Amino acid sequence: MIKLKNVNKSYKLDDDVIFTAVKDVSLEIKQGEFTSIIGPSGSGKSTLMHIIGLLDQPTRGSISIDDKDVSKLNDNELSSLRNTFVGFVFQQFNLINKLTVLENILIPTIYTRSTLTYDPLEKARYLLKRFGLETKEKSFPNKISGGQQQRVAIARALIMNPKLILADEPTGNLDTKSGAEILKLLHELHDNEKITIVIVTHDPNIAKQAKRIIEIRDGEIQ
Amino acid sequence: MNHFIFVLKSAFEDFSRNKGRTFLTSLGIVIGVLSVVILIAFGLGLKKYINDQFQSLGSNIIRVVPGQILKGGSFSASSGMSTIRFDSRDVLKLQRVKSASYVIPIVTRAIAVSIGKGTEPATLYASTHDIFLALNLKTRFGNIFTKTDLEKRSKIAVIGPKIAAKLFGTEDAALGKIIKIDSQNFRVQGVLESKGGGGFGGPDLDSFIYMPHTTAQVFNPDKKFYAIIVKSSSDVSITTAKDEIKTALLKRYKEDDFSVIDQAELLGAIEGIFGMLNTVLVAIAAVSLVVGGIGIMNIMYVTVTERIKEIGIRRALGARKADVLLQFLVESVALSILGGLLGLGLAYLIVFFLQAFFPAYIDVNSVILALGVSSVIGVVFGVFPAKKAADLSPIDAIRNE
Repeated sequence: MIKLKNVNKSYKLDDDVIFTAVKDVSLEIKQGEFTSIIGPSGSGKSTLMHIIGLLDQPTRGSISIDDKDVSKLNDNELSSLRNTFVGFVFQQFNLINKLTVLENILIPTIYTRSTLTYDPLEKARYLLKRFGLETKEKSFPNKISGGQQQRVAIARALIMNPKLILADEPTGNLDTKSGAEILKLLHELHDNEKITIVIVTHDPNIAKQAKRIIEIRDGEIQ
Repeated sequence: MNHFIFVLKSAFEDFSRNKGRTFLTSLGIVIGVLSVVILIAFGLGLKKYINDQFQSLGSNIIRVVPGQILKGGSFSASSGMSTIRFDSRDVLKLQRVKSASYVIPIVTRAIAVSIGKGTEPATLYASTHDIFLALNLKTRFGNIFTKTDLEKRSKIAVIGPKIAAKLFGTEDAALGKIIKIDSQNFRVQGVLESKGGGGFGGPDLDSFIYMPHTTAQVFNPDKKFYAIIVKSSSDVSITTAKDEIKTALLKRYKEDDFSVIDQAELLGAIEGIFGMLNTVLVAIAAVSLVVGGIGIMNIMYVTVTERIKEIGIRRALGARKADVLLQFLVESVALSILGGLLGLGLAYLIVFFLQAFFPAYIDVNSVILALGVSSVIGVVFGVFPAKKAADLSPIDAIRNE
């Protein structure tokens, strides 16, 4: 589904030193896989996830999605792919605090240019119910628990029926119990709905739950 | 469309969260729109006021004055430079002009009128009995003077209601009393109905004192006239009447020696002066609109900086650059229009109270102008901060804490 070929990402630091976060990475993630990318902090795993999620663009190398080269797409086309193809789940939840839980879940549907085959509001409410959040519809994100916030974020990631969910340290800000619940949820989505899932983590205990583990260190795949 | 409504809704939700900031940000626009609209309302009122004054004097009035008063539609700098003065020969000549129904010579002077102790400034208007007909002047008490008074040089006066009230307390008390001008005594034969006016540079018609010009020769020993008013008969055009008057006078004077001016020309010239003055004032007030716009721009930059993370989240979820641009542009335009509406509302309120003293009014054009200008300001001063927001890289924005 996603192919990275010789992907490099480097930044120019203030003192003109070039720092390479991702070095010559080639990998393929197949449809329906449950993959974890593991590495210590600073290993380039987040950068790699951002590149896979089309939030960031590689300095060199190519990415293709469903055999289509996306490294040459313009900003609008990339935005559309982020909107429909990927669902993000972040460590910091990244919900907008001034919007209600329901409004947060609906954000991707506002920006979509594709015609939805379902009623977004209905679907949002269905997801809330499924994640046990039906009473929190009108709550604001900073008024609910971390575990609940992350479930809202997952609901938001699912609203557009994406093929891929990218989760960057999804349990990093949660207690053990909530973290386990979130992982269980991701497994359910993978098992029941065949959604491709990539989890980025530094925690071997989480990584080993995945069927495939990609280890990254100093920007290189081990 | 759905998206636009959402953006608008979220902008207003933001405003209601930050009421104080929203108000202060749009205050510049409020003040700018307020001052521009009020000044325009003043200008319109002034125009209406001058118009009404001229209307009340009656139409088809033609003034014949010495010198070139108007040049190219505005008052000439050399007005009053002419040396000629009209006399009774000119009056006779104009009376023979076919299209002239009344020919009224005018002697006018600023005078001081007294009744023993008190002295009041007034304008003396010495003429024939026809002036009352030509200028639609009617008495409220007593009578106008007649042809006989003119012939007998009666020492009488017909006075405006304002000067009557000033001198005698009430208007009717003036009737039959003696007034003193330059130590000459005149009996008040009539008090006129009010014509309104006075103030704002307009003639204070209600403080005029009318008397036969023959009587006024005590103040005017050379028997020359300041001007001649001709009322043209209603069945000829003003232009025809003016041409005939010119032809009659050209037998004696050169073309540059006198002017023949109709109401419309005079009105145009006066409006031209006030119009220009008003335009200058409005332009100065418009500077505050620019300042208001800069205030909005400033706050929009702050807003963008505060919301970098939010922008990043929206971009990650599929918002395009254009969506972000629109979001911030809508906010700045909404802020600006909000200010414009508030300014307009305040202007309405002020003009409403002002109308007790002055016929100022707000027309549709001012409303369109106020709202149009504030939307343009919202766009112009909002586009740079909005562009900054749109051009943020999604990844840098979402990493921002």
